[in-house]
Amino acid sequence: MAAAISIQGLTKKYVDVWQKQEVVAVNNLHLEVEEGEIFGFLGRNGAGKTTTIKMLLGLIFPTAGDATILGRPMGDNNVKRELAYLPEETYFYDSMTGWDLLDFYARLFRIPEPERSRRVKLALEKVRLQPDAWKRSVRGYSKGMRQRTGIAQALINDPKLLFLDEPTSGLDPIAHAELRDIVASLKDEGKTVFLSSHQLADVELICSRVAIIHNGKLLTTGRIKDLTAGERTEIIVQGKELTNGVMDKLKALVPIVEPVYDHTDESGSREPVPTGKLRLSSDDNEQTTAVIDLVRSAKGTIISVVPHKRTLEDVFVETVRKEGI
Amino acid sequence: MVALAIARQTVREALRRRVMWIFLVIGVFLIALGPVFGFLNPRDSQVVLKSLGLAAILLAGLFITIVTCIYLIPVEIERRTIYTVLSKPVQRYEFVLGKFLGGFATVFVNIAAMGIVFLAMLWMQSPNHKVPPEMVKGVMLTFFQMMLLAALAIFFSTFATPVVNFFLSFAIFLVGNLSTVTESLTTNRNPLVSGVGRVIHYLLPNFGNFNIQNSIIHPQIELKNVDAFIMQNIAYAFIYSAVLLILAILIFDRREV
Repeated sequence: MAAAISIQGLTKKYVDVWQKQEVVAVNNLHLEVEEGEIFGFLGRNGAGKTTTIKMLLGLIFPTAGDATILGRPMGDNNVKRELAYLPEETYFYDSMTGWDLLDFYARLFRIPEPERSRRVKLALEKVRLQPDAWKRSVRGYSKGMRQRTGIAQALINDPKLLFLDEPTSGLDPIAHAELRDIVASLKDEGKTVFLSSHQLADVELICSRVAIIHNGKLLTTGRIKDLTAGERTEIIVQGKELTNGVMDKLKALVPIVEPVYDHTDESGSREPVPTGKLRLSSDDNEQTTAVIDLVRSAKGTIISVVPHKRTLEDVFVETVRKEGI
Repeated sequence: MVALAIARQTVREALRRRVMWIFLVIGVFLIALGPVFGFLNPRDSQVVLKSLGLAAILLAGLFITIVTCIYLIPVEIERRTIYTVLSKPVQRYEFVLGKFLGGFATVFVNIAAMGIVFLAMLWMQSPNHKVPPEMVKGVMLTFFQMMLLAALAIFFSTFATPVVNFFLSFAIFLVGNLSTVTESLTTNRNPLVSGVGRVIHYLLPNFGNFNIQNSIIHPQIELKNVDAFIMQNIAYAFIYSAVLLILAILIFDRREV
């Protein structure tokens, strides 16, 4: 399958002249996104996701490296006819109505009438924006309506490739599910979607492959099926002795050792309360056995040992933690 | 077509700015003050109305042009509305051109509105109900003067903040209106002063040449061919604006948004 996006060594550095500091936002990124797939681009806040997208769209310029989009150099104006972009926040001309806004964006694609009106109507219907809101000012729209309008503007040119930056963040559950389904349906139409998101459950549901970046560096990339293969065992333990010296040994044995907090709010306090228990997690049976032996030898109590299927969230947390937060 | 779509949207946004309407109302109010001076003899009254009217259009036009044009590009970047525009097949020159045309059209609407009120007042006050043709030319020249100022403000907005842009545009407009002073500097005996004078006089836009009220206030200065002088100034405004826009496009083309 041909590459919709091919990134070779993309780097973006910012220089703070006053503090004489160099900030590397994206560091030598290599990535391939195939045509027709929904590709998840994951990373913490400030990992370099938006910077990468902005470079690919020609909004900012790379310090080094190159990329091709649909076989043409990034930023090329002709290739933009086939692209769509939904920024993280929906930034609109608030005085315009939903219809006028889409009409304006359609004009930027040089779409003549009556085709322009047909496309505007089609896009608004596809994102299920209520018709009574079409001729209302965007200023009065709810977050969900704005996000629907944002996706509608991204669909106005019937693009081959869409860059969606957090399309479902901050939405109510119904709007969230509806917009996620709309994004998922784009794959059936043969479109490629480059999806940057923190909603890992959504990404796991609709994406075929993902890449995880941290501090501008690509940590891992691959098929979700492969990354989440295998089981993980979660062990909850308790014991006074565990905090004295045993903790270091546990940390050396398994990748995840964290205190368990009580988040129930019975006391009226909003702060999580430590329970004195520890949660350990490992995908290695030998490690699990060694942990159980160590806890028992330290006179600790094993509360539970539960096998879990690895989720994308587990993969993300482990991958990023390995790098050091 | 793309630049026109951006211009159309720019006019819509610009016309929503309350501060612009305030300056327009002040301008119209000052023009309407003309008949108050009717207690003077008819000849003086006409001179006062002409001077006051043109000055009001110039002043209100100056502030409308500056407050409209200094924000056109920075607001798009600050509110990030530019992301959904430049990620579409829009060349950066089309964006700058669209913004200029939108700002220019907004200024045109305002000057036209003030001009119509001004000429109507003159028509009413004139004993034989005639509008002096030099006043129509005066309003027209103010419009081209503002076009040049709009191009200057758009040029600065590609790299300066709106506050810096406001003072820069305003200062250059003032210095550009003092062309007789800057011209005198070019002949100064001190080579440094004359050098600086030459740079200021020839590099900065000559806004003073657009002020037809100078000939009202100083009727002793007589132009041999007024029409040629006006055409020359209009051509100057177009050429200078085009140069400023080309520079603005070159700078904006390299700007990260």
